[in-house]
Amino acid sequence: MARVELQITRRNFLKTAFAGGGGMALAGREIGRAVANGLTKLGTPPAWFHQGEIKTTYNYCDMCPWKCGIVVQTVGDRVRKIDGNPLDPKSRGMLCARGQGGVSFVYDPDRLRAPMVRTGERGAGKFQEITWNDAFDQIAEKLQAVAAQYGPESVAILGHTTGDFWFTDYFAQAWGTPNAGKPSATLCTSPRDEAALLTTGVAIGGHEPMDWDAMRCIVLMGSHIGEDTRNTVMQDFMNAWGNGAKVIVIDPRFSSAAAKADYWLPIKPGTDTALLLAWINVLIAENLYNREYVEQWTEGFEQLAAHVQEFTPEWAAAITELDPELIRTTARVIAEAAPAAAIMPGRHTTWYGNDTQRMRAAYIINTLAGAWGNEGGLYFNKSPYLEAYPHPPFAITGSAGGCSAEPGAETAELPAGPSGKIRADGARTKFLRGATAIQELIEPMITGEPYPIKALIVYGVNLLNSIPNPERTLEALKKLDLVVVIDVLPQEHVAWADYVLPEASYLERYDELSAVAYKTPFIQVREPAIAPMYDTKPGWWMARELGMRVGLEKYFAWETIEEYLNTRLMSIGSNLEKMHEAKGVVIQKGKPYLADFNGASPFGTPSGKIQLFSDELAVAKLGGLPEYEPTAEPPEGYFRLTYGRQPVHTFAKTQNTPVLNEITPENEVWINEDVANGLGIRHGDRVWLENEAGTRTGPVKVKSTQRIRPDLVFLAHGFGSVAPGLSRANGKGASDARLMSQYKLDPISGGAGMRINFVRLVKEA
Amino acid sequence: MATYAFLLDLARCIGCQACVVACKTGNELPLGTKYITISERTQGTFPNLQGGFQNHRCYHCTDASCVAVCPTGALFKEDGLTRMDRAKCSGCTYCVDACPFGVPVMVDGISTKCDACTAVVKAGGQPWCVKTCPSHALMYGERDQILAEAQARVESIKARYPNAQVYGEKEAGGLGVVVVLPDSPEVVDLPVDPQPKLLVTGWQKAVQPLTLGLTSLSVIVTGIAAVIARRNHMQELKTLHQAETAGSEKAGEE
Repeated sequence: MARVELQITRRNFLKTAFAGGGGMALAGREIGRAVANGLTKLGTPPAWFHQGEIKTTYNYCDMCPWKCGIVVQTVGDRVRKIDGNPLDPKSRGMLCARGQGGVSFVYDPDRLRAPMVRTGERGAGKFQEITWNDAFDQIAEKLQAVAAQYGPESVAILGHTTGDFWFTDYFAQAWGTPNAGKPSATLCTSPRDEAALLTTGVAIGGHEPMDWDAMRCIVLMGSHIGEDTRNTVMQDFMNAWGNGAKVIVIDPRFSSAAAKADYWLPIKPGTDTALLLAWINVLIAENLYNREYVEQWTEGFEQLAAHVQEFTPEWAAAITELDPELIRTTARVIAEAAPAAAIMPGRHTTWYGNDTQRMRAAYIINTLAGAWGNEGGLYFNKSPYLEAYPHPPFAITGSAGGCSAEPGAETAELPAGPSGKIRADGARTKFLRGATAIQELIEPMITGEPYPIKALIVYGVNLLNSIPNPERTLEALKKLDLVVVIDVLPQEHVAWADYVLPEASYLERYDELSAVAYKTPFIQVREPAIAPMYDTKPGWWMARELGMRVGLEKYFAWETIEEYLNTRLMSIGSNLEKMHEAKGVVIQKGKPYLADFNGASPFGTPSGKIQLFSDELAVAKLGGLPEYEPTAEPPEGYFRLTYGRQPVHTFAKTQNTPVLNEITPENEVWINEDVANGLGIRHGDRVWLENEAGTRTGPVKVKSTQRIRPDLVFLAHGFGSVAPGLSRANGKGASDARLMSQYKLDPISGGAGMRINFVRLVKEA
Repeated sequence: MATYAFLLDLARCIGCQACVVACKTGNELPLGTKYITISERTQGTFPNLQGGFQNHRCYHCTDASCVAVCPTGALFKEDGLTRMDRAKCSGCTYCVDACPFGVPVMVDGISTKCDACTAVVKAGGQPWCVKTCPSHALMYGERDQILAEAQARVESIKARYPNAQVYGEKEAGGLGVVVVLPDSPEVVDLPVDPQPKLLVTGWQKAVQPLTLGLTSLSVIVTGIAAVIARRNHMQELKTLHQAETAGSEKAGEE
């Protein structure tokens, strides 16, 4: 069989190779083999860039939500290569492995190809194809039935990745549901964002404002740059390292970044706040803080100084299992470099449920160092100037948040939808503030409290591999009246949809403009390189088609996406044509430093000063100053489950991408070598991971290594999907998400602390 | 004429695999084939650890064993780099056996390895791996400048890596990949003194002269044979001609 295919492919290859650029019509699955055969039988075929005229389009990458500007090269109707856009402030001509793998993602033969409607039980994965028209007519009817019976707030919309705007932000606000959520908020950045708003009143934004070029000391708290392969961050980090900046890495694992560190602090998991309090203690006790800065820009120093008096390095050493002298030394290293020193805010900060306070402690250190607004510290992000497409007022102001959204202002009263209901996620009751807590929207689907959520639209969120407690999510999915899933690939949760709407990938569509808050704010455009493959459609088109059928015509007044984009671009004197001439990016001037504010305060707190002591948290009885709260210890025989990134994959999204799958087809469970030896487990063995609730995942390969403390195990996130439609990724490795039977809600930000699950290793029978 | 080289800074490499995928996609390598392999290297025991990555690839030796053994000219030196004309590869696998770094691999019966992105560079570009490297661990340029950069980088990292050294200045006649090593070569499994394998010396000292001898002998033998054959042939022709002539004469007589 394979042989026959090979020969057919070879013939195709010959045909296309000699037909020139216009005839390059190879299906994705064939190209790898065709090239192999080309190598074998024809000698070296001409390089792709000599095979016809190259069409260049500009885009921003969608292989992770970081959105590097890219240059896409297409020959005929086939995308051949993606590179970083040299003019783009994020990519600067370079790309990570995932970005380089974009071509392979787009030509993944497992892609969803046509809209489908469920025919079997929900979750059985049985579907039949349906026309787009019929799909939208039916979805619209069901959405309106839910709205009529329960109110429009009973429709939840979850979204992630770069096209989520159209659903989670635009459609949700037009429709009138406050229940729009993104995993990038309370499963990721909420604690660091709320901590920043409470402390400095300045949002961190999608792009952590580390002033890398002039930095003299970098502190990474769990940030594992190199495994977390955000392109810009790798570049900036290694350049700063090359310039001789001191690097301090706090991580229970000897990460790729720890290997570059001048000081590695192999901390006991869950004790970071104790270390940070001890650093504050040293900075104050040894008079190493920036007194002038503190006097001019902060409030609550006296309370802070009194608070940390007892938190000596010796006190912290007993908790963190770090050498007290190492704690002292590193505090001095930070002080010596200040104000060109900062603890990186990081991304995924939802760890133990007390995470906003940990991040406040980190920001207090950044403040004592005088880092905010000083060169080499933390600059002030600025959003680019760009008008929205004119539309009537939305039915509700959104609070989906997330790293890709504009930071919305927190209002005392939560906005209510058309039938008077506020968010169902427990904001203001279960937690204080911030963006919608995506994981808290699952509960109302089951209990109907505070009111039922009956319909769910999911755009690009891998429901069962991102939201903790996936058993609960499955229970919720069974109770809904309507589940609509929009995705590019048949991910695990797609089997639970009533309607599957296949999206055209980022190389096949126009999209919303990307407006990036940055040191030099900039705007990126997404141009399609090729027409949508199969019977797929862009997300904006789907949102509009649905909107037109549910009475939201006034919000979708444009006829074409080009008209929408040109109208927005007109506000900066541009249009799509000019954006193309400008090579896809327009850069504006920022206001990064204190000096740019002419003495006015850039800090957005009510007093215009950095709140070392938080009045808002004190009033809410959530602690005006950060305190160390111990987290539960693993029971005998169990290890704390930690998780993170590895270089070539994003979340649970890219594991099936052929070229990336080839490099890392599965994850490994990291365990301390001495501990593994004691358990009779060897490097390369396969084991099951089982949590306290008895939930299992695997089997997964053991990485027995000295690079990790004895009290935890580590898994790269995103593997172990059970999705038969993903021919390469299905069942490969272990799923950390499956083992997260519990999480601890951060009472400030609504973040889901997920590092409180414990697992044991069970040898494969 | 200028020779070119890569800089590979293993102190800077952060193991992100961007070069691996850029190489695969830019060169449109089939699944299962890659020219760069990144692997972790850790020494010590917890918590006293040092670590980094090996970024294994063709080192473009000046005294390239693969070129020395290649019987068809598929592998050859140009601009200081070891390039390939895959159409000429006979699939003999000598290069696979000869390489002191274990680089060339067989794909569907022909040898393949990094050719320093010949087509890209000749079209005025940078090799795909160099172009994308986010940690600036890779550079490409004239070898003199690359070597100077490597030496400067080694100096700049001595405080962090006291054993830092340049690898490839002289090894194997000078490598076309000049490596900044944070520690000794053994740490990343590089041979301290890469020598052509026995096979290569064997090839150069025995097989090549022997084949030359054999080839000469066969040419001589063939030549003699041809002369004899031709003489015989001519004789046969002559005989035939005479017979034919005689025959037609006879026929004419009838």
